[in-house]
Amino acid sequence: MTLYEGTAGKDYEISGIYVENNITRRLEALGLNDKTVIHMMTKKKHGAMIIKVRGTRLALGKHIAKAIEVKECKA
Amino acid sequence: MSEKEIRAAFVGNPNCGKTTLFNAITGSKLKVANWPGVTVEKISGEAVYKDYHLTIVDTPGIYALTCYTIEEKVTRKCIMDDDIDVIINVVDASNLERNLYLTLQLLELGKPVVLALNMMDIVKDRGMEIDLHRLPELLGDIPVVPVSAAKNEGLDILLHAAVHHHLEGPTGNVMNYSEEIEEKIEKLEVIMEARYPEHSSRRWHAIKLLEWDEDVREDHPVNILNVADKNYEKEIIRQKYKYIDEIVDEVLFHKQEKAAMTDRVDRILTHPFWGVPIFLCIIAFVFILTFAVGDSLKAVFEVILDDFSALVHNTLAAVHTADWMISLVCDGIIAGVGGILTFIPNIFILFLALAILEDSGYMARVAYVMDGIMGKAGLSGKAFLPMILGFGCTVPAIMATRALETEKDRRKTMFVTPFMSCSARLPIYVLFADIFFGKAAPVACFSMYVIGLAVAILIARIINLFDKGTNNESLLIELPEYKKPNAKTIRIYVWNKISDYLTKAGTTIFIASIIIWFVLNFGMGGMVENPADSFGAMIGRFMVPVLKPAGLGMWQIGVALISGISAKEVVVSSFAVLFGITNANSPEGMSLILSNIRSSIPGFGPLNAFCLMLFCLLYVPCAATIGTIKKESGSLKFTMKMVIFQLLLAYAVSVLVFQIGSLFL
Repeated sequence: MTLYEGTAGKDYEISGIYVENNITRRLEALGLNDKTVIHMMTKKKHGAMIIKVRGTRLALGKHIAKAIEVKECKA
Repeated sequence: MSEKEIRAAFVGNPNCGKTTLFNAITGSKLKVANWPGVTVEKISGEAVYKDYHLTIVDTPGIYALTCYTIEEKVTRKCIMDDDIDVIINVVDASNLERNLYLTLQLLELGKPVVLALNMMDIVKDRGMEIDLHRLPELLGDIPVVPVSAAKNEGLDILLHAAVHHHLEGPTGNVMNYSEEIEEKIEKLEVIMEARYPEHSSRRWHAIKLLEWDEDVREDHPVNILNVADKNYEKEIIRQKYKYIDEIVDEVLFHKQEKAAMTDRVDRILTHPFWGVPIFLCIIAFVFILTFAVGDSLKAVFEVILDDFSALVHNTLAAVHTADWMISLVCDGIIAGVGGILTFIPNIFILFLALAILEDSGYMARVAYVMDGIMGKAGLSGKAFLPMILGFGCTVPAIMATRALETEKDRRKTMFVTPFMSCSARLPIYVLFADIFFGKAAPVACFSMYVIGLAVAILIARIINLFDKGTNNESLLIELPEYKKPNAKTIRIYVWNKISDYLTKAGTTIFIASIIIWFVLNFGMGGMVENPADSFGAMIGRFMVPVLKPAGLGMWQIGVALISGISAKEVVVSSFAVLFGITNANSPEGMSLILSNIRSSIPGFGPLNAFCLMLFCLLYVPCAATIGTIKKESGSLKFTMKMVIFQLLLAYAVSVLVFQIGSLFL
């Protein structure tokens, strides 16, 4: 599944990022790598969301959220 | 005393407090706020420590030493080219994990690096602890200095560390990659050494070649394909974060989640549905406060200005100054400049509110909240930040577009930002709304802000349609912790703005007032009794037929609008000079303006006034803005297109509103 399909309040583990190269590198530099755990804080209807990763809050647009492949973490 | 020179650069993630630290050390008063991307240009300052003279460079915040954005390019170029002797890596200690990524990259440069651990107070507040002995050991024994920029703590120790570490130099390699990558780095280092024996940061260049860094590859056209057959950037990033995980495990204790306050506030302010209405309410509150409180304070200024003008008039008359000179000073300069100064309370309240908004951490949230609306205009929510800054002044707002990712987004944002009503337009609204709208004046003023915002977004959407652009959904912005606004930061911010306003009153508006006085008091036959015979009237009359359909067919308005291009406040100054009013912003001044206008256009009422306000909102931005747009876009053609478009738009809208309005009123 992609992060875009996720639900607010849940944790996800990244399994891959598939978007334009420069955005991918940017996300990786921000610490979104394979196996990194993301907490989704809130999500808007059109797909923009706020996530918490490595102690930082990031706002992501739909385009980026759709490109992050994740697995749901078991609570 | 023999002074030794050292060049140091502050480098760090966005919003980690570089500029606050820079201000504290160099005594500068640069703008600081709580959102990523406030600093867009490198700025230098001076500091003295013992017998060392330090030149300190503040750089825009970056997450990595890559070159994807303008900020990254500026900062990287500064570190690489400006013979920086020592890098002071400012780190947000409450967010060590992410900040150390840049640190590892900086260490690879092979230059002396000093770590300034900022925001230690937040670390303590959250009950976390950092092992300050183990951290330097894991970073190659570089000096690690806890500082508090806000409380002026640890600054001397930091300068001391910078000086002695500069003398000792770096200790060599900090982190080792996997065998496979280290082997390749070694090979590339050999190649680099053969080709560029004078290079200092050999390891860094080798790593960048492995990452297929565009700039490094362009500058160093060596054949690396037999060593690096593919791009290793992903692997290198992954291994760096692996090392960071090890560091954090060893040095950070009690890493508990006590950031609950921010999360609770965010649940309301970034609510999927209520986010936008809450934002609009906050903006409405800011502007209504600006008018209401500002207006109640202005009476004080009125008394001072009236007394001052009378004093000057009497003194000049007593020493037998020529009448024309008295007229120039009292009717020209005092009327033009003084009238503008009476709006200081409004300007003060506006900037105070904006400063609090910016320093609280809410600004970055606005980018998220407005992302959906901006996305339909083909822009990311991030483009909304320069637009909000436009409520203050368009010039820094245009500069702030540098934080946007692509040139296309920048151009589009620059194009619409002038529609955001800046503080210079405020006096025009306040004056005309007070004269014509009575109790509804604050609503009339506020409507200008809403209309400006709506026009900006609408135009961006139309441009997007013509471009056949798609929705922009690539928002990526860090949201900082909320914090209590810092009194010093707010003071610097507001004082900078007020002093800009005073400077403008003393320069642009002063000169414009003299010129206006001149064109209104001189005609073909020398000095004229009746302004209707002056040069100004001749110019203004050309515009009467053009302005008539917008309900503004009066030569004085033509003159005021033309002079307003120098600075928008000058529209108000012009009316003061035109009608010889000491203080346009007083009840007497207003009734004089009203009677003068009505003598030309008997039916001039709220609709005409509204059209005048609309025209001032939308027409050509001031000279300073035009200059900035030219500089930032690097294109005269783009700038001219924009100016012409805005002029036509302002005209079309005000004519339309007047004609349709006339049918009903």
